Amino acid sequence: MRKDLVDILACPVCKSPLELTIEEEAEEEVVRGKLTCNQCSEDYPIEDRIPNLLPPEMRTA
Amino acid sequence: MTTEREIKETVREHYAESARQVKAADSSCCGSDTAENVISSKLYTTDELQGLPQEAVVASLGCGNPVAMAELHEGEVVLDLGSGGGIDVLLSARRVGPTGKAYGLDMTDEMLELARENQRKAGVTNVEFLKGEMEEMPLPDGSVDVIISNCVVNLSPDKDKVLAEAHRVLKPGGRLAIADIVARGDVPEELRRSLEAWAGCVAGALEEGEYRAKLESAGFADVEIESLREYTASDADGAGLGDLLQKYGKKGAEQVGFASVIVRARRPGEGGHAFSSLNVVAGEAVSCSPGSCC
Repeated sequence: MRKDLVDILACPVCKSPLELTIEEEAEEEVVRGKLTCNQCSEDYPIEDRIPNLLPPEMRTA
Repeated sequence: MTTEREIKETVREHYAESARQVKAADSSCCGSDTAENVISSKLYTTDELQGLPQEAVVASLGCGNPVAMAELHEGEVVLDLGSGGGIDVLLSARRVGPTGKAYGLDMTDEMLELARENQRKAGVTNVEFLKGEMEEMPLPDGSVDVIISNCVVNLSPDKDKVLAEAHRVLKPGGRLAIADIVARGDVPEELRRSLEAWAGCVAGALEEGEYRAKLESAGFADVEIESLREYTASDADGAGLGDLLQKYGKKGAEQVGFASVIVRARRPGEGGHAFSSLNVVAGEAVSCSPGSCC
């Protein structure tokens, strides 16, 4: 995902804004990292450039 | 009793398998090839498909052309629910141009991977794919101009939630344009189950009246539902449901109780663009002739 995507994303559960932490970046994109909801104290992982915003209980298939 | 979680897992596994088949260059999906073609083939014009990766076209498992029905404008923000291989997101991105954005939401890793690959091949940059659920959209209130979806809402075990979320993330005056499968009238339970499994891969199609009522109770206005194609016994026969149809005396041109429809609605409020008349748009977007389309 592009870094500025965080501006339009929201926590799937409480819809609060998310905070971006970048662990790996390439070609202006976040390859790995996390999006944190401070309201729910929940981390949403970014893997292979795609943010995983499934609600926590749906995350493990 | 099938739980919502089980339904979602079945859907996810089904579409993961479809994505794997596209990657393995095998286009067959739910049911037989023939069955899939009746529903998903010839939905897009040659012009629209020009410049799109073949994998995006092959992975297209929709039942309509929501992008054409949405009448997108330059600069708009579009969200595709259940974006799959990404065809409708890529088409949307083209229509909204560099000042607009197209987001694809999907819960299947394999489809998201395929969509990202297709995005790279198409060289489109105003696109993002998000992993998430349409029952819990990861977007703030009033952030999207247009929501599209292609034959996905029928798969949700909680359609009220999906429509409430769609209403929430749309800006006031925002538009909803979705292609979907609806059920028609009384169909014997056994036949209904097999037909649903054929058409939507998992039971769940609403009746048109129910769809309308759910949209209205979610707060949508100007609801229009137009049939794109009524499925007949010969369509279902081609999908290997011949014996079952014979048992219930359905044959040939007789309708089997399912249709592809286009559903459009607006979130009430000032702002946004209005839809043109659906008949005009549908006529231009899909040049249907009996037996040759949708």
